[in-house]
Amino acid sequence: MTATAAPQLHSSNTRTSTRRPATRSSSRIHGSPWGLAARITIAVVVSAIVMFPLYWMLVVAFSPRGEVFEPGIRLWPSEFTFENFAKVFGQFPVADWFVNSVSIGLVATALTVVLNLLAGYAFARLRFPGRTALFMLALATMMVPVQVIMVAQFRLVADLDLVGTYWSVILPAAAAAFGIFLARQFFIAIPDELIEAARIDGAGPVRVFLQIVLPLSKPLIAVLILLTLMGSWNDFAWPLIALKDPDLFTLPIGLLYLKGQTTPDYNAIMALALISVLPMVVLFLAFQRYFVQGFARTGIR
Amino acid sequence: MTHSTKRLLGATALVMSSAMLAGCAGFGGPSSEEAGPDSITFTTWASESEEAAFRALIAEFEAANEGSTVELNVVPYDQMFSGIDAQLSAGDAPDIFRVDYGNLGVYSSQNQLLDLSPYFSDEEAAAFVPAMWEAVSYEGVPYGVPHQTDVSALLLNVQMLADAGITDIPDTPEEAWTWDEFAEVSEALRASLPADKYPFVYNWQLGGTSRWLSWLFQTGGSLVEDDLVTPAIDSPEGARALDFTKSFFENEWVPPTSSVKSSGYADSVFAEQTAAMAFVGSFLVPDMEYFNEFEWTATFMPVDERGATDLGGNALVATAESDSPDLAAEFLKFMVSEDAMASFCEQTNELPTLISLADADLEFVTRPDLMPIFVQQAAAIEPSDVRQLTSPYMAAIAVALQDQLELAFVGGQSTEDTLANISAAIEEVTQ
Amino acid sequence: MGYAFLGPNLLLMTVFLFAPIVWAMQLSLQETIGFGDPEWVGLDNYVRLLTDPVFWQSFGNTIIYTILTVPLQMAGGLGLAVLLNSVLPARGVFRTMIVLPMVISGVASAMIAVIIFYQSNGIINKVLVEIGLDPVEWQSAGAPAMASVVITAIWLRLGFNMIIYLAGLQGVSPELYEAARLDGASRWQQFRAITVPLVGPSTFFLLIMNIIASFQVFDLIFVMTGGGPGYSTSVLGTYAYRNAFQIREQGYGAAIGVVLLVVTLLLTYIQWRTSRTRDLVG
Repeated sequence: MTATAAPQLHSSNTRTSTRRPATRSSSRIHGSPWGLAARITIAVVVSAIVMFPLYWMLVVAFSPRGEVFEPGIRLWPSEFTFENFAKVFGQFPVADWFVNSVSIGLVATALTVVLNLLAGYAFARLRFPGRTALFMLALATMMVPVQVIMVAQFRLVADLDLVGTYWSVILPAAAAAFGIFLARQFFIAIPDELIEAARIDGAGPVRVFLQIVLPLSKPLIAVLILLTLMGSWNDFAWPLIALKDPDLFTLPIGLLYLKGQTTPDYNAIMALALISVLPMVVLFLAFQRYFVQGFARTGIR
Repeated sequence: MTHSTKRLLGATALVMSSAMLAGCAGFGGPSSEEAGPDSITFTTWASESEEAAFRALIAEFEAANEGSTVELNVVPYDQMFSGIDAQLSAGDAPDIFRVDYGNLGVYSSQNQLLDLSPYFSDEEAAAFVPAMWEAVSYEGVPYGVPHQTDVSALLLNVQMLADAGITDIPDTPEEAWTWDEFAEVSEALRASLPADKYPFVYNWQLGGTSRWLSWLFQTGGSLVEDDLVTPAIDSPEGARALDFTKSFFENEWVPPTSSVKSSGYADSVFAEQTAAMAFVGSFLVPDMEYFNEFEWTATFMPVDERGATDLGGNALVATAESDSPDLAAEFLKFMVSEDAMASFCEQTNELPTLISLADADLEFVTRPDLMPIFVQQAAAIEPSDVRQLTSPYMAAIAVALQDQLELAFVGGQSTEDTLANISAAIEEVTQ
Repeated sequence: MGYAFLGPNLLLMTVFLFAPIVWAMQLSLQETIGFGDPEWVGLDNYVRLLTDPVFWQSFGNTIIYTILTVPLQMAGGLGLAVLLNSVLPARGVFRTMIVLPMVISGVASAMIAVIIFYQSNGIINKVLVEIGLDPVEWQSAGAPAMASVVITAIWLRLGFNMIIYLAGLQGVSPELYEAARLDGASRWQQFRAITVPLVGPSTFFLLIMNIIASFQVFDLIFVMTGGGPGYSTSVLGTYAYRNAFQIREQGYGAAIGVVLLVVTLLLTYIQWRTSRTRDLVG
C-alpha cells in the first residue's frame, strides 16, 4: 500500500469522484469487443439469480400460510396477506427485539469505530515498543472462531455482572480487530509530509490525530460504520448465549427462536426475516456509493 | 463524500439518541440476578399453549404469595441446554428450569440441582406415579418434580388413508395394528401415493432419537439390563427392531429426509401432507390443530410382542445455587399441585404425573376427542422402560444411538455392526 | 503515547479474546461437561482427535468447502467487477443487486436457503420435476447437501468479493490498457497481463479473508444442515460446537477449536510469507 494511494488522498477533498474518468476510459477498452448485448445478458442473468432468494423471502412472507409448500409451482402469492406479520407481531415481542438490535448496533458501532480509529492510528503512525508484535497478535484474533471462546467469554461476562445487559454483547464486539486492520491500512497511506508539517508546527500526536488525520478519514469512517453496524446487526452466535432473556433478544435470535418453535411456521419466519433485513437493506441502499469508494481508499485492493 | 458522510454521522447520532432513550433498560444492571429472596427466575422453552399456561399459573402463584415474583424466560428449545450449561458453569443459572427426563440425570449426577427431600414428605412423593418420581430421583434423592408427561401415538390423514382403501382404524389398544398389519397399511399407502408422498413419518429426529426405543420395547427387547449399565441391545429383539425400522427407508415408507439427524420433523411433514401418517406426541396436538388444513385423527402405536410408546414430558428443577431455595421449592410444589397440573395439562394436551389425575376426566382444550387415545397409549409404558429412558446415562447414550441409527438408516451400515457399535458405546459411556 | 491510543482496545482484547483463548487451551486438557468437577487428562483429547473418524471427516469437509467456495467467490467476484466496471446501462443497479446479499445475516440467508432447497416441496425441486428432471436429494444425500451449502455461501459472499475487486480496479490506470491495445494485445491478454496483476493486493486481501471465513463457517451449516445427513456437511466449526455445546464434551470441543485456530493461523501465515504483495500488511 504505497505510492498510488497518495495522490488520491490529496485529491479526495477537492474532487468528488476520482472514479469517473477512469471508468470512462476503461469502458472504452472493454466496450467494443465484448458485445454490449452479451454483457447486459450476463448482468441480468446473474442479478436475477442473486435476487431470487430475496424475492422468494418476500413471496413466502406475504403468502397465506403453507401455500408455497403446496403442490404445483406458484411464483407469487395467490393473495397478498399480512397475516404472517400479524402473527409475528402478535405473538412475539418483535418491537422489543427491534429496539434491542438498534440500541446494541448503534452503541457497539460508535464504540468500535472510535477504538478502531485510535488503535489503527497507533499501529500505523506511532512508535512504541512491541508495535509489530501487538499488531500481529491483534490480527491473529481475527482468526479465533467464536465457538472456541464462547464458554470462557460467558464466564468473564458473568464475573463482570454483565449477563442480561446490552454491554455483554457490545464490549466483546468492540474488541474485534477487523476495523483496526482497515484503519491501519488507511492511515499508513496518509502522506508523511502532512503529518511532519503539523509536527513542526508544534502539534502533539493527539492534535495531529484530531485536526489533521481525522478530517481526512471520512471514507474510512463511513466504511467502518457500515461494516461494524452490519456485523453487529447480524451477529447471533454470541448474543444468543449472552442475552438469555427473550425481552433482550436481537432480531437474528428472534428468527432462531421462531424456528425453534415446536412446529416451525416458515411463513412467519420469513415475515420476521424480512423485518430483520429491511433496515440494513435501506441503510445500504442509501450509502452504498461510499462502500466502493471507502474500500478503494482504505487500501484494501 | 464529505457532505454525505456528515449526513450519515448525523443520522446515526439521531437514531442513536432515540434508541438510547427507548432501550435504556438493556443498559442498566442485570435485571433479575440481584433481586431479593422474594424473586426467582424460571427458564424454559415452550410452545404457544405451554407459554400461556405457564404465565397463567405464575400469575396465580404470585397472587397467592404476596410480594413474590417469578420471572419467566422462554428461550428457543435448540439453545435451551447450551444456555443452561453455560449459565451453570458461570454460576449464573436461573432458580428454576425445565428439563426432559433424559437430560435431568446429567445435572443431578453433577450436584447442580437442589435436593428436594426436605420439601417433600414421603406421602407427598407417593402422590406421583412411582415411575415418574423415580425419573426425577438420583440415588434415591429427588432433584425435581415430574411436571408432565406425554406419549406418542399415530396421527392419520383420513383422506389419504381412505384413498388407499384404509378405513378401519383401531380405536382400542387391543385392536392396535400389529407390525404385520402396520406393514400392510404402509404397503397399501405406498401403492396409492405418488412418489413424493410417503406412508408415514416417525418422530425420532434430533432430540427425539430415543423414541426409536419404542420399537425395541415392542419386540420385548431392551437397551440395557436391569443394572442400567450392561448393554442388552445386541440381541435377536434388537435385530428385529432395527431391521424393521431400516425397512422403512428401504421401502420408501418414510421420507428419506426424516432420518434421525435430519430436521424434517414428523409433525411438519404431516402438516404439509407429505406423509399420510405420523408418530407425534400429544403436546403437538394444539400445533397440529392450527396447521392442519385437512381431516385428521389418531390411533395407537403398532404392537409386536407388546405395546410400547416413548416417555416424553418434562420435569421442573431448582438449581443448587439458587439464592431463594425455599421460594423455588414452594413454586415447584405449586406447579405440581393437583389444580395447577390439571389446568396445565388441559391447556397443553399433555398428560399428568399425579396418580389422582391419572383417571380424572381432564377437559383438554384442543381436540378432546383424540386425547383418550394418548391416555390409553400411555398405559403401554412399563416401569422397566421408564428406568432405561431416565437413566443418567441416557443423554450420552442417545448421542451414540443417533450416530449409529443414522448410519444404519441412510449410511448402509449392517444391522450386526450397528448393534455391536451401540453396545460398545453404552459400555464406554457407563464405565 | 502509542499505548494511550491503543489502551482501551488492548484492554477489551485482553479480557474478551486473549483470556478466553488461554482458558480454552486449558479446557482442552480437561475432561468436563462444563459444570461440576473437571478432570485433568493431559493431551488425551488431542490423542483422541487422531483416531476420531468424524474429526477427520469434518476436517476434510472444511477443506472441500474452502476449495469449492473460495475460488468460485473470487473468480466470480473478479469477473463481475470487470463486467460492472465497463459501460453498461443501469450499471449501478446491477452492482447494488449483486452486493445486496452481503447485508443479509447468515441466519436469515440460511433460513431462506432452507425453504428454497427444501427437498420434498421446495421451489428448486418443484421446478426440476416440472422440466422433467429428477428432484435432487438436498437433505438426504451428502454431496447435494454440501452443494446446497456451497451455493448459499457463494451467493452470500459474491458481492463482497466483487466490491473489493471493484475498488481495486479503480486504482488501475486506463492508460495501461490504452498502451496494451496499441501493442495489439487481445482482451484476454489485457486481462491476464494488466488486470490480474494489478488487482493483486485485492486478491491477497480476499484470499485471506475468504479462507478465514470458509474455515470458520458456522451459521450457514448450523442452520441449513446441522452437519448432516450423517456427518457429510460437518465442518470443524460445527463439530467443535456439537461437542462443546450439544453433547457436553467441552474439553474435546475446545481441543477441536484449538486445532481450528492453529490451522487458520498457519494458513494465513503461509499465505503471507509466500505473497509478493505482503508489504500491504507488513
